[in-house]
Amino acid sequence: MPPEAPPTLRDFFAAWELFADPALAGALAGALLGALGVYVVVRRMVFLSAALAQAAGLGVAGAWFAQIHVGVPAGLATPTVGAGLASALAATLMASGEAGLKGRRDGWLGGVYLVGAAGTLAIGTRIVQEVQDIETILFGSAVAVSPDDLRALAWTVGLLGALHLVGLRGFVQVAVDENGARVRGLPVRLLGLLLMGSLALAVSFGTRILGALPVFAFTVLPPLAALRLAPNVGHAVLWATLIGALAGFAGYVAAFLWKLPVGAAQTLTATVLLAMAWVAGKGLQWQHNRSAHRGGHIHGPGCGHVAIRHGDHVDYLDDGQLQHQGGAGHEVHHLHGHVAAAGYDHGHDHDHEGCPTAPQGHVHGPGCGHPRIAHGDHHDYLVGGRLHHQHGDHCDDHGPVDVVE
Amino acid sequence: MTTQTAAPVHDEAPALVSCAALAVGYAGKAMLPPVTLQVRPRQLWAVFGPNGSGKSTVLKTVLGLLPPVAGEFACTASSLGYVPQRSEIDPAIPARVIDMVRAGVERKWSFLDPSWTWKNRAAIDDALGDTHIRALVREPWTHLSEGQKQRVLMAQALAGNPQLLVLDEPTSAMDVHAERAIFALLDDLRRRRDLGVMVVGHNLGVLARFATHALFVDKDQAAVDAGLVRDVVRGSAFVERFGRGVAEHLGASDAT
Repeated sequence: MPPEAPPTLRDFFAAWELFADPALAGALAGALLGALGVYVVVRRMVFLSAALAQAAGLGVAGAWFAQIHVGVPAGLATPTVGAGLASALAATLMASGEAGLKGRRDGWLGGVYLVGAAGTLAIGTRIVQEVQDIETILFGSAVAVSPDDLRALAWTVGLLGALHLVGLRGFVQVAVDENGARVRGLPVRLLGLLLMGSLALAVSFGTRILGALPVFAFTVLPPLAALRLAPNVGHAVLWATLIGALAGFAGYVAAFLWKLPVGAAQTLTATVLLAMAWVAGKGLQWQHNRSAHRGGHIHGPGCGHVAIRHGDHVDYLDDGQLQHQGGAGHEVHHLHGHVAAAGYDHGHDHDHEGCPTAPQGHVHGPGCGHPRIAHGDHHDYLVGGRLHHQHGDHCDDHGPVDVVE
Repeated sequence: MTTQTAAPVHDEAPALVSCAALAVGYAGKAMLPPVTLQVRPRQLWAVFGPNGSGKSTVLKTVLGLLPPVAGEFACTASSLGYVPQRSEIDPAIPARVIDMVRAGVERKWSFLDPSWTWKNRAAIDDALGDTHIRALVREPWTHLSEGQKQRVLMAQALAGNPQLLVLDEPTSAMDVHAERAIFALLDDLRRRRDLGVMVVGHNLGVLARFATHALFVDKDQAAVDAGLVRDVVRGSAFVERFGRGVAEHLGASDAT
């Protein structure tokens, strides 16, 4: 009997009717969680989504337990309701207890995560008929999604997407500079609650449909990739939406092609996209530095380098070089005798007289504490607006330069 | 010990901030003796004192980020500009200079108006010009030096056309050259824009040179002193902390 041929993309799309719902669910969840995850990453609370996902998992397991052992009607204790309640409770606890956590938020998030994971596994041993579903919750091995779940997810993505598109600038401001947003009178508290509520809803839906692992992955990996590529946080939200959708869909396809668990395949796909974004980001940075600046530094007022008026413009003294910030980057300018013509007194030995920063006996040289500056065919040292040239055992005054304060 | 010097009226302009026996602190507990002062347009108030002495707490109360513990406080400035400590802004945040400055024009629910930034483009351009960073508008935040970052944050604060500008240790990571340049810029801005300025700093020489008024706070000595720079540096609280020689040197070089 010949070995079975590995599945191909043609096979996947030939069975599109079978795979459409879970693949689209992956894309929708990836897009929503990716977008929201940007705020999670920028606000340095990535563990929040992991904790919420585990809490949602516990809610799903609890709903099954209530159906099987407590006799709660199946229509009341649905897994979706359980996930929503548990994640909402966790989010509310974290939000209301924010002030009382006294800087231990990470620890408390870890506590929620551990209680969620351990509780789900413990309840799983009491509902053996649903053991497959417990694995689905924890690791995201869902291969099928019901049309009702997909419809509910699509509505959630649409509503939350609209909310976050309308309030994009507000959410970004609070994420980047919360105190600044407060001073400017933005409704910081409301925006924080809306973000927390959006996360709880997205995570509970995502965990119910895809599982905790890919949900956590979508809130961290696409945002990291987007933040690497985008020029600002607002653009990163849009980039993360696209990357999350791609990871969700392509991850499902990868799971089909290589017979992998769906959650693991989606997480690994998001990781590959992150690696690609990292490389692309490096390339963009290199190109930016190459085309505009050396070493990423931009000369300008307050840049930290001594500014010197040179003809009709201002140059900056960087590592002994006189550099001009031009449109195409740093241009090296040269200081010649004629520039320092006024007061130029080559060969005059002044022995540092009248110089407040170079006392008698001071010898100019590398590390002497004075800025070195190229001057014609040699280097001088800038002291009090004048060029000092160390010439053997004495110091020549090579004239003044116009240092810009 | 509590020392309190009434701040003399610098000019006839109405006060932007009035504090009368204002107690500041956390959770209803005052950390300093009561503060009485009035900040008016074109005044530059230097807020100084030892580390952990309550300088930032005073500023946060003025900004409305902390509620007053007791006393009277009124802020009549139509708009406030705030330059936070550098540690408050993520150094790795992806943002261009223009993105940071644009954020400064947002007010209350303006983020719901898609054309708000466009409507305020003149204010954004003025802020970029006043802080001399027009050449940097497309540059990433992560590429800027500390001095340039402070200018960007000042431009952000100015973009909202504030009447009162509050800066919390804007020069903490700068060398003396860059620090003087920032204070010279503040001095220029307060005159040209009729700004009231409150700035926290540590370099007494620079503060005394550019400030018109001073607020000295010292939690350990339980001392607060507010008024003209020359009066504050000659006050008993300052002399006790820094010595008479420093007080006389600074008193001779203040901007008032």
